[in-house]
Amino acid sequence: MMDRYTKLQMVGIYACVAVFLTFILLPFFEMFMASLRPLEHLFRSPYQFWSDDFSFDAYKQMWVTVPLLGRYIFNSIYISFMVTGLTMIFVVPAAYAYARLQFPFKNLSLGIFLGVNMFTGAVLLIPLYRVLRTMGLLNTYWAMIVPGVAFLIPTGIWLLRSYLEKIPRELEEAAFVDGASRLYTLRRVVLPLATPGLIVVGVAVFIGAYAQQFLFAITFNQTRELQPLPAGLYEFIGYQSVTWNEMMAAALVGVLPVMVIFLFLQKYLVAGLTAGAVKE
Amino acid sequence: MATLDLNAISKSFGSAKVLHDISLAIKDKEFVVFVGPSGCGKSTLLRIIAGLEEASSGQIVIGGDDVSDAHPVDRGISMVFQSYALYPHLSVYENIAFPLRVQKMDAAEMDSRVQKAAAILQLTDKLQLKPGQLSGGQRQRVAIGRSIVRNPKVFLFDEPLSNLDAALRGDMRVELSQLHRDLDATMVYVTHDQVEAMTMADRIVVLNGGRVEQFGSPMELYHHPATKFVASFIGQPNMNLIPATVIGADATGVSVELDGGHRMALPVAAGTVKAGDKVEVGIRPEHVEVSSKGLEISVNVLERLGGVSITYGVIGDGTRFCASLPGDAVIEEGRNLTLSVAPENCHVFDANGDVLRRQAAPEMVA
Repeated sequence: MMDRYTKLQMVGIYACVAVFLTFILLPFFEMFMASLRPLEHLFRSPYQFWSDDFSFDAYKQMWVTVPLLGRYIFNSIYISFMVTGLTMIFVVPAAYAYARLQFPFKNLSLGIFLGVNMFTGAVLLIPLYRVLRTMGLLNTYWAMIVPGVAFLIPTGIWLLRSYLEKIPRELEEAAFVDGASRLYTLRRVVLPLATPGLIVVGVAVFIGAYAQQFLFAITFNQTRELQPLPAGLYEFIGYQSVTWNEMMAAALVGVLPVMVIFLFLQKYLVAGLTAGAVKE
Repeated sequence: MATLDLNAISKSFGSAKVLHDISLAIKDKEFVVFVGPSGCGKSTLLRIIAGLEEASSGQIVIGGDDVSDAHPVDRGISMVFQSYALYPHLSVYENIAFPLRVQKMDAAEMDSRVQKAAAILQLTDKLQLKPGQLSGGQRQRVAIGRSIVRNPKVFLFDEPLSNLDAALRGDMRVELSQLHRDLDATMVYVTHDQVEAMTMADRIVVLNGGRVEQFGSPMELYHHPATKFVASFIGQPNMNLIPATVIGADATGVSVELDGGHRMALPVAAGTVKAGDKVEVGIRPEHVEVSSKGLEISVNVLERLGGVSITYGVIGDGTRFCASLPGDAVIEEGRNLTLSVAPENCHVFDANGDVLRRQAAPEMVA
């Protein structure tokens, strides 16, 4: 049995997992603790891990301090959904073509896509600014959606291509012999079978879009009403003071939708990322 | 239903030529099996007939129409794949109906065709299940169902039984032969298993290295193999091939001396061989019997199968020899055994591997 461990090994494994999880989750936990405390208690010394001044006041007050907070959260989700939807429209046919068709410069162009992935958006901000200005897209939702889509397409193609390659070719040949066109086969056979892969790619793109929108928002958009949450959080930084507790509360509320999505889709994520690793 | 003619089909992948000028004429309603070792080009040839691969040169004619450049559907073929290629997300019904949905056939007609196919294949109570819920044999039937709803002219099978266990394979062989009779269709079947070829085929095409070694009925291949390759491929256990030297050749036959020293006079057409030529003598394991004089073999391994005892040993010069003897024959591992064979049951192959035709063997009508 390969999965049998001694007690000592189990303790070791759990200890490692605990260290790892602490490292990742502690910031979130501290965010949460900070959001529960009154502002004036945040910086007291010595640091108190547990105190009796917890309240959810910041979660109420934040809507007053930043009246557009709801709008910002909506914008974040809206932009991420638009980016995800548009990216998928481009990624699905492209990934299928890379997985199944032969055409000149196939590997070269795939390599270029990977190369594009190595640039962060920051390097290209100034040229992008000029492009968006020329197209008249500055200070619109599109200013944050279009670059988002452009930067996520390569990742999506690479992820989905490897998933589509694992779908047995014979299924498509069978459909071809029965007279189905490529598009019909893609719709009726390939995409239904690729659903877990599509979800993986969709979630990866959504998270990518959620994470990267800050940079594009502060650079390409001056319209307050269109700002996504990460940019909107800046408004908690006032002239006199920074309401850290409310900012933490708002950040947590803003991350919540992504966490919920993760919880619901995590079984697909695991299945999708390991699909085809073993013969079924 | 229709005839299928291949005219000088060649296929190259880059510089590697995998099929060399293959010409075959398959008759209407015939069950033809392509058999050969892996890499002999049999699957490629089938895929060319199906239209999944393009031939580098040559012509495919189905029912008198040149379909070399036609789409698979327009060729009137349908194909059953080795892995069944069922759509796992669709029900059995939808799997069988798939080709009809592609044609946008009206619902009533489609339903009657699917039900008819399901009835033939005993799948009527399985129509709402997903392929994952079926056994291997049932999946195979669904794949066949999908191929028959379109009423194709020619059925193509690509090693359809190789994923099944041995017992089921035997059952499915019988079912497929039955299906061939019921549908009265032209069928082309690819396998590497000579037992499948022998049991199901009207005629067998033996392929080796991208060339047709022989095309004939099972018993014709058994009694009159054209080449050493066919001789050793057809028949179970394999034919013994013993190096020998010609010591005399005339109209009545050829006299040879086996490398172990044993001499035999064999009634085969001498052709161009002459004394001193190197040949190989082929003896089927089932054609030998225990005797007081003849070939001396020392027995290494004995397999008692009940009805027969398969005896593996070596003859004088170290050539391996296999004999299929009666189940209760008195044999022991490690002992010597003397075997005799009737001269008219021996095959002789010249240095090129071509046969010298036996004169006394049963004449087969092709």
